[in-house]
Amino acid sequence: MSNKFQRSSPQVLGAGVGVDASVVSSTASNQPRKRVKRCCRNFVTFMCTQVGVGALIVFYAICGALAFMNIEREYVDKTATYVLELRQNYSQRLWNITEELNLIDKPLWVNETNAVLREYQVQIAAIIKNGYVGRSPAQIWSFPAALMFCLSVITMIGYGNMVPRTPWGKGFTVIYATFGIPLYILYFLNMGRVLARSFKFLYRSMHDCTQERSYDARLEALENGSSLGALTLRKKIIVPSTACLWVIIFYVLTGTIMFANWEKWSFLNSFYFCMTSLCKIGFGDFVPGASLTTAADVDAATHKLREDISADPNEVSELQRITDQHSKLAINFIYMLLGMGLVAMCRNLMREEVRVKLKEMKEDAKLCVEDTRLRFVGCCGDPRDLYENDYY
Amino acid sequence: MSSRRSSFRRREKPAFARFKDHCRHFTAFMFSNVGIILLVTFYTIGGAFIFQAIEIFEYEKLKTDKPYRFHERNASGDCLSRIWELTAENISFYDRQAYRKRVNDVLLDYQRAVVKKQLLGPDVDHQWSFSGAFLYSLTVITTIGYGNITPSSDWGKLVTILYAIIGMPLFLLYLSNIGDVLAKSFKWIYSKVCLCRICPGVAKRRIIRERRKLRQLARALQLHNMESARGSSSTSYSSTSKSTTNSSSSTGSSDYTKSSVQTSSVLDVPYSDSDSDIEREIRGSTDEITVPLTVCVFVMVSYILSGAILFGRWEDWNYLDGSYFCFISLSSIGFGDLVPGDRVITVDKDKVEVSFILCAVYLLLGMALIAMCFNLMQEQVIHNMRAIKRGFKACFRCRSS
Repeated sequence: MSNKFQRSSPQVLGAGVGVDASVVSSTASNQPRKRVKRCCRNFVTFMCTQVGVGALIVFYAICGALAFMNIEREYVDKTATYVLELRQNYSQRLWNITEELNLIDKPLWVNETNAVLREYQVQIAAIIKNGYVGRSPAQIWSFPAALMFCLSVITMIGYGNMVPRTPWGKGFTVIYATFGIPLYILYFLNMGRVLARSFKFLYRSMHDCTQERSYDARLEALENGSSLGALTLRKKIIVPSTACLWVIIFYVLTGTIMFANWEKWSFLNSFYFCMTSLCKIGFGDFVPGASLTTAADVDAATHKLREDISADPNEVSELQRITDQHSKLAINFIYMLLGMGLVAMCRNLMREEVRVKLKEMKEDAKLCVEDTRLRFVGCCGDPRDLYENDYY
Repeated sequence: MSSRRSSFRRREKPAFARFKDHCRHFTAFMFSNVGIILLVTFYTIGGAFIFQAIEIFEYEKLKTDKPYRFHERNASGDCLSRIWELTAENISFYDRQAYRKRVNDVLLDYQRAVVKKQLLGPDVDHQWSFSGAFLYSLTVITTIGYGNITPSSDWGKLVTILYAIIGMPLFLLYLSNIGDVLAKSFKWIYSKVCLCRICPGVAKRRIIRERRKLRQLARALQLHNMESARGSSSTSYSSTSKSTTNSSSSTGSSDYTKSSVQTSSVLDVPYSDSDSDIEREIRGSTDEITVPLTVCVFVMVSYILSGAILFGRWEDWNYLDGSYFCFISLSSIGFGDLVPGDRVITVDKDKVEVSFILCAVYLLLGMALIAMCFNLMQEQVIHNMRAIKRGFKACFRCRSS
């Protein structure tokens, strides 16, 4: 970039009439341009680094949540009214049966009623298989839930506790995933790199602190100019995979305790949830926030608050509970994103370690083979053999 | 003595080498395409058996240990008796509205019970059939996780975690391996079929044409160079002294003629060659070919659409649902709102099996195909980037000169 400017300035110089004036003007015009360019470059690098990508992910998820809320709330759930109709219809039929068999004939009445109930059950079962849960879309698609849905789409977890029902929602999900997944992968790689670097730095500094004495010895060795110092220095940088595993295990255990406390799950279930989520499997048999209050409850509470500010403690606690749960969902969101980053970090570090180990192993093997050959030749024959063997 | 030993060693070495070769071949095979497919398949089948055994065993154990939990609360019988009570007490005062309202409430309770039971899913024996368990273990290692079948016992959950930890790297290995192989073969097919490399005549003619074009270009460039050189030399010389101009130009022209002869001979050498050289050229050029992005995208979209048609026929989904299912599955999201074999499970058992297996094959192949496409796209993008970089460099160089 700077070369270009150097190149361009002589052209201006040659073309200009007043030499001095042109030089001054060109530098004056270049200065803000340069600054703007630098600013742009800095901005782009910032956007491409961890913070920017993280912000982008959050922004994308929030936009997606709003869009899905808008799309899915449009969906007129006919099944709810249909179920109501069905029930009234069947109660009417039951009434008819009762009226018809006015004389109290219990076995016959039971037979008839049972048949009607069977029919009713079959119909309800068919409706449920089509995805009726008994809650209206407005209740299901509250903002935090939609946020969770977006996150589960772009991280490819896919809990499946809530799914788009409208054709538009399905199409939008596909498009959203097409753009979201590469973005998420970018985040994953970036976060992994940054976390790996910082973790390595942390590990190294801790290592230095704990091994002050050996450090001095190494310094001496370095001063002596032996290769030992360089060797140990190179070895020091690698973070062992056990440390990565400890980090992951610690993280998972934290999540286990957290979710077990919040969602009243058993520890095994909570652990299972954390593992399946971080492995991106996401069965959806345990989903945090499924026990959350629905949007209707929130609306009612806020309505109540708007009615009278002089709130009694009961109401305050109610609201407190709701806001608490919202913060829980936000923490959940952060837990997932951070966990994915940690997994990426461990992947990075472990890959590096494996690569270094493999290289070392190869070198060791080579040395070993050489050594054994030399020894074999040395003890069993004269060194001339060595040269002979080299021909083969 | 030394000769004897050397002969002895020569005799021993092949055996050792043979053994080593065998080992190497075996490991190479295990981690080659066929081996890895077999490994994944057997791992999945083994997982299916393990999960089936664990779940059914635990279920039976729970059933014998705590039978009260599995006491079938007869919802319909309950409802029936409640309605009977209502009717019996209602028979005295004959109020139709009240009666209907109360019956409605009872029915609502009944409906809730039915919903709850339906959401819990079918019973364990039905859920954990072999095909169900197979699909379950497949969704675990591919990280799709539909969630239509989930382990309910503690041991099942623990084994799932272990199974996933071992299985996921295996599957990633499968993906990278098969993706690589598919990418290579797809590139080969693309270069052979789409660019008409398959018939040697066309390829040869094309190469000859390209070479002729190149030669003409080189000639033109040379001419241009020569002219510019002559011009520059003439100007430089004219600025210094005019007396030496003629001699210098004559020497320059003689240089040029010599060099032109040389370069033309250099150019003629590859042109006037035999078929073997052209064949080598053809073979070399297949490595440089990159499949364009549009073809990759087209392959992915057509795979998803064909899956939509296939599943639409099997499961009576419409095309939107089918393609939605395929996309969600292949991107490993896996909501599980649409699952193959979900509807057929109550009707026909043989059909379910076929559908499950079809789904498994579709998923395994599709994920490898997507890995292939990403492989090719990455290559193409890198190639494009390099070309752009080169272009920029050339541009800057032009400007600087």
